[in-house]
Amino acid sequence: MLESLQHLFTGFGIATTAVNLSYCLLGAVVGTLVGVLPGLGPIAGIALLIPATFGLNPTTALIMLAGIYYGAMYGGSTTSILLNVPGETASVITCIDGYRMAQKGKAGTALALCAIGSFIAGTLAIFGLVFLAPPLAEAALAFGPAEYFSLMVCGFVVLSNVTGASLVKSLMMAVVGLIIGTVGLDPVTGDSRFTFETTYLLGGIEFVAVAIGLFGIGEILSNVEKPAATLDQSVTMPRLRDLYPSFQDLKQAIGAILRGAGIGFAVGLVPGPAPVIATYASYMVEKRTSRHPETFGQGAIEGVAGPEAANNAACQAAFIPLFVLGIPFAPPTAILLGALMIHGVVPGPMMISEHPDVFWGVIASMYIGNFILLLLNLPFVPLFANILRIPKRVLLPLVMVFCITGMYTVNNSISDIWVMLLFGVIGYTLRKWAYEGAPLLLALVLGPKLEVAFRQTLMISQGDFGMFFSRPISAFFLAATMLFLCFPLFRAAVRQWKVRVNPA
Amino acid sequence: MSKKMFLSFIILSLFVMPVAAQAAFPEKEVQIIVPYAAGGATDLIFRALAESSAKYLGKAVVIVNRPGGGGAVGFTEGAKAKPDGYTLTAVITPVTILPHQVKTAFTYRDFAPIINVVDDPSMFLVRADAPWKSLKEFIDYAKKNPNMITVGNSGAGGGVHLVALAFERAAGVKFNHIPFAGGGPSVTALLGGHINAVSVSPPEGISQVKAGKLRIIALFADERFELFPDVPTVKEQGIPFSMGMWRGLAAPKGTPPEVIKTLHDAFKKGMDDPVFKKNAHDMSVKLYYLGPEPFEKRMADDDRHFGNLVAEIKKK
Repeated sequence: MLESLQHLFTGFGIATTAVNLSYCLLGAVVGTLVGVLPGLGPIAGIALLIPATFGLNPTTALIMLAGIYYGAMYGGSTTSILLNVPGETASVITCIDGYRMAQKGKAGTALALCAIGSFIAGTLAIFGLVFLAPPLAEAALAFGPAEYFSLMVCGFVVLSNVTGASLVKSLMMAVVGLIIGTVGLDPVTGDSRFTFETTYLLGGIEFVAVAIGLFGIGEILSNVEKPAATLDQSVTMPRLRDLYPSFQDLKQAIGAILRGAGIGFAVGLVPGPAPVIATYASYMVEKRTSRHPETFGQGAIEGVAGPEAANNAACQAAFIPLFVLGIPFAPPTAILLGALMIHGVVPGPMMISEHPDVFWGVIASMYIGNFILLLLNLPFVPLFANILRIPKRVLLPLVMVFCITGMYTVNNSISDIWVMLLFGVIGYTLRKWAYEGAPLLLALVLGPKLEVAFRQTLMISQGDFGMFFSRPISAFFLAATMLFLCFPLFRAAVRQWKVRVNPA
Repeated sequence: MSKKMFLSFIILSLFVMPVAAQAAFPEKEVQIIVPYAAGGATDLIFRALAESSAKYLGKAVVIVNRPGGGGAVGFTEGAKAKPDGYTLTAVITPVTILPHQVKTAFTYRDFAPIINVVDDPSMFLVRADAPWKSLKEFIDYAKKNPNMITVGNSGAGGGVHLVALAFERAAGVKFNHIPFAGGGPSVTALLGGHINAVSVSPPEGISQVKAGKLRIIALFADERFELFPDVPTVKEQGIPFSMGMWRGLAAPKGTPPEVIKTLHDAFKKGMDDPVFKKNAHDMSVKLYYLGPEPFEKRMADDDRHFGNLVAEIKKK
């Protein structure tokens, strides 16, 4: 541990040279921008800038590119809060309470809390990265297809009722999400499913199109039917003193931020869509542990701060498998892996000993980067919050254009725009009948992975279902799921029993 | 400028313009459609090539990612692009596999090959502590225990999956093939001991082999892999089998031959550029140049080969 600290100091020496500092700043700025723009995410941002790094040394290159990745996690919440448009997959949950807060004139508080929460969680996760990286990475390897399947079943059952409206409606939406997730190439046989012989559908339904459609476009459409007068005046003016969170707000949020950081860090180590699961889990935990769960969905501060902290911690934790195993668990780290290789640094078990300057330099730059991001984001808060001063009559068509162009940049595909608009209409009707979009999106992310893990397990075990129960980690998650499902039943039984034992 | 001068300028330019359009092919930037996501091996190598070739072509080369459907989305768009040389496609082995597997709107015949850039060997990796010390032990075990050795691949019907299937036939054994969503997850599962072996193509798994956590048990190439010169090929050990994963550039069919030639010459110079060579070396990618005709022949050969293989699998 002492040795780690020593290396870290050397790393700070590397990261604080003028060149590295300026590239760290550049990465943070670009990251914030790609995070704010819906559609254009960290992957596209990093890919675009890789050729620009060819002339740099590997440490500087990675400092900048990593800055884009975690910088995007800061920016992602902005459009969720202001416009109900998720900037990227990790900020879907932020829409729920963040947008409500903005509508109540607390946009500034929400935005500032996101920045502060991201900063605290990011910094804590880097400590985890420094001290726990090697043992944790090895632990992640214990997750094979069977464990992965059970973990996702658990996540699926526990998290699908995330907003806590109606369990039946939530599960219905989750099933719709699972169905949509089956479109495309069969992951095991390579056959096409539900593609109607079109090339476009071979690629499956794009998650971002569904997310922006259900949330952003759906919101715009439901505004359209409101009387014209409300569209002119309904804008909530943030008062100056509301632009930054009060001490009271911070006190309320700090627990959520710390819990979110822990959840995010743990989930970030597991292969798969970590930021998405981490944000859902954090929201769920906050709601369950809150003393006033009824405020969730109505603009609860914890419902914004927790998930935002979680996605940042998950994002930092994702560097552990990348650096220690040389294996990217998520697309953004996959592209960072590529960028490193093109510079002749091969991440993997040998990286820390072969390229200590790169490893420790980048880690140290992350501390600095998180600090830069905090300084960069807080002054923007009034600016962004003031977007809400624009009358909705003007703002909403602009958001529509913004969504459409943003959608196109994801895969450079016109068809994606049509899918997004279709889901916008679906989102509007779902709103009318009080169905939630969040479970659908969760199922759309988890469904295909769940299916692959299930079929892989059965292929490895030659069709023996016992494998799910004979492996300890897998059995643990399945048991936890059963407990969760049976708990209400058990509680009811206990209450009945109590009534019978001492009849009042 | 006087009115007269202006008029004469207009008239003059009317004469000059068509001539200029014919003479210099790249008038604007050239686009390469990469049918895979940004950051993958295919994407990175063509980004590096685009960067190094632009100066020889005289115009910028832009990468556009069109991922989806195992490459089908991008290949379709590339095949249907206007054959004027401004929209090229990064074609890789699956362009000769996909049309046999699912109904696609393209085959390799819809492309006019320009240049082949990469030919990576494919290989099987096992854990360093696996019980099989040599290819012979591995094959002997597989013969005695059909369908027992689990071999991961990066996706059903993808290149390395078919390599594993073809090797099975060449060696007369049966494996249990487990598909994963990409090379990364399959190598992770092998490291964790959830499967016995994995079929990959560099750079996947190379860093783990270097670190001594994984071993190359079978190398399917005509010559040894320069990073690990001690590992013999399966050919040397008596199994007549080799299969590489190629990556090259193609234009839509019908592109004028002189345009193809201009493009070929520029990208050939880009391939020979020392910066690009270093990039490729650092990524552990094996450069392998083929001109338009030999590249076309290579595609035709693989298309026939994979067609037979897929038909055989589908019959089951």
